[in-house]
Amino acid sequence: MNTDRFDLGGGEPIITLRDVAKSYWREALEIPVLQGIDLEIPVGAYIALMGPSGSGKTTLLNLVAGIDRPTGGSLEVCGHELNSLDDDQLAAWRNAHVGFIFQNYNLVPVLNAFENVELPLLLTGAGRGERRDRVEEALALVNLTDRMGNYPRQLSGGQEQRVAIARAIVTDPDLLVADEPTGALDAKNAEEVLALMERLNSEFQKTIVMVTHDPKAAHHAKHQIHLEKGVLDKAVEVNR
Amino acid sequence: MILGLLLAAPFLAYLAWLIWALVAYPIPLGYNLRSLWQRKLSSFSTAAAIALVVGIFVVVLSLAQGLSVAFVSSGRPDQALVLRPNARFELNSSIERDRMRILKVHPLLKRDAEGPMASAEVVVVKLFPMADGTDTNVTVRGLEARGITLRPQVRLVQGRWFRPGLSEVVVPRKMQGRFPSLELGRNLRMGGRDWQIVGTFDAGGASYESEVWSNVNDVMQAFRRESYSAMLARLESPERVEGFLKAVEDDKRLKLEVIRETDYFKELTKAGDPIKILGNLITLILTGAAIFAAMNTMYAAVAGRTKEIGTLRALGFRQREILASFQWESIFLCLTGGLLGSGLALFANGIQTGTTSFETFSDVSFAFTITPGLMAQGVAFSLVMGLLGGFLPAWRASRIPLTEAMKGG
Repeated sequence: MNTDRFDLGGGEPIITLRDVAKSYWREALEIPVLQGIDLEIPVGAYIALMGPSGSGKTTLLNLVAGIDRPTGGSLEVCGHELNSLDDDQLAAWRNAHVGFIFQNYNLVPVLNAFENVELPLLLTGAGRGERRDRVEEALALVNLTDRMGNYPRQLSGGQEQRVAIARAIVTDPDLLVADEPTGALDAKNAEEVLALMERLNSEFQKTIVMVTHDPKAAHHAKHQIHLEKGVLDKAVEVNR
Repeated sequence: MILGLLLAAPFLAYLAWLIWALVAYPIPLGYNLRSLWQRKLSSFSTAAAIALVVGIFVVVLSLAQGLSVAFVSSGRPDQALVLRPNARFELNSSIERDRMRILKVHPLLKRDAEGPMASAEVVVVKLFPMADGTDTNVTVRGLEARGITLRPQVRLVQGRWFRPGLSEVVVPRKMQGRFPSLELGRNLRMGGRDWQIVGTFDAGGASYESEVWSNVNDVMQAFRRESYSAMLARLESPERVEGFLKAVEDDKRLKLEVIRETDYFKELTKAGDPIKILGNLITLILTGAAIFAAMNTMYAAVAGRTKEIGTLRALGFRQREILASFQWESIFLCLTGGLLGSGLALFANGIQTGTTSFETFSDVSFAFTITPGLMAQGVAFSLVMGLLGGFLPAWRASRIPLTEAMKGG
């Protein structure tokens, strides 16, 4: 596979994948999920990873986000060669560089909105006052300042996802990864979330990699990358 | 001791690390406490099981404590008991009258205005009916008036002391609840005659609270005893006991054995061994069950929160932080049970009970004594249960592969 086929707008790459492969084993049987992935994603890109089920989109997202490790090739993300980091270093790297947005929000049910957003900041060594300021700022950005004390069960699906987005941006990461961020939302809330993500990309220059099945969601990205049976198929620039 | 320390070292090191983690690691404790509260039913039932075990543990310890108080507070280091050689206990001992005469004027005995401080005594065992309808052996002690002054912890609380020749007895106040026949003013039938209960005494928890007292000559006559059982003697100081022991044992006219009173009661403390062994056995079995209950609850918590664990890990929390967090959750669960159990054990405090001494074949009355120290031991015991019960689930929580955890296991 050749990176030339995937012109994502040039600029300094934030993600560089070289011949990345990932396989799983079921007993002695090797099941290849990703093969020969060569890809450069520049800073400020907004990518929608698309493809049929089992094409390897979520696996690719997990590799880029430092959740999983490749079985072959090299991955450089946000200036770090991820293969060279041990588990603790990778955890610290995720905290510093990646914000996560999940399909089912993944908020901790026993913590309120403020505490959920504060969670990643607890690892940064920021003092109580600084944490409060940053959480309030993040919640203001997603328009949920008035819901700070609410628990996830007291929020609508759209509000929960906005809290999750606030949690993803509170550490000011370089990269946001989103796995089907609108998969559990109705059309109106999905549109709000997508608009918010678009704003994070355009206004705050966050690089976003989003896995989605939804063509409408993918239309909000700048580029769509299609995977087919574990290999990159094509990249399409989105005309918005 | 060294082996114990070696075995405890990893445990203590792990505990020290956990305490450090509590301060240094960022997962807030509130997260665990609220998670426990969210699963109220399972948390409460586990805490209740732990409370039950800790309650039993504290009560078993208090049994031992009560017995120990009964015996240890009975003896004085400056007093000695003279017995027949190898008799070990007063009940098995006999000292003929002529030997007793020599003994009672022994030059090493402490003296006061009334003469040598010694009491010739006889001990017999008599079946008494208990409140529950069963009978049990009770020690009847015949003693001289001196015998009362040699036991300063004993004080009359009602009525008066017995008088010689009148077949009168005094009984311990604390036995009255368990033995309805020991009411003040009532008559007791023993040794073929009636004895009037003329007083009740309190012995501050000492083992005399298991004995009925009367005049030594009255008891010997009624029970047709030709010899005494023992002599209680006070020496000038605790250091003089050794000299008295040697003097009596070397005296060919006497051929008797002397034992320091505190040592004698220490030996009698073994009366509590069977009950302690049984109690410890029950506690051990229940502890296994409680640890299993805690483990089960924590495994269920981990299984139900796999995605949450995955999220925390994705956000940057490390495996050891997850381990410490879940381990503390288990500890808090068990500590809640421990505090509850220790508190519940307080209800047993002061309850008067008794056991049969296999040394003297008679009843030993004592009170459950729940001290702050015992309660602290109960809480510490629950901490151990929390550590043991929570370790494997917490380890499992920290080791779930991240991709698996994020999918929800």
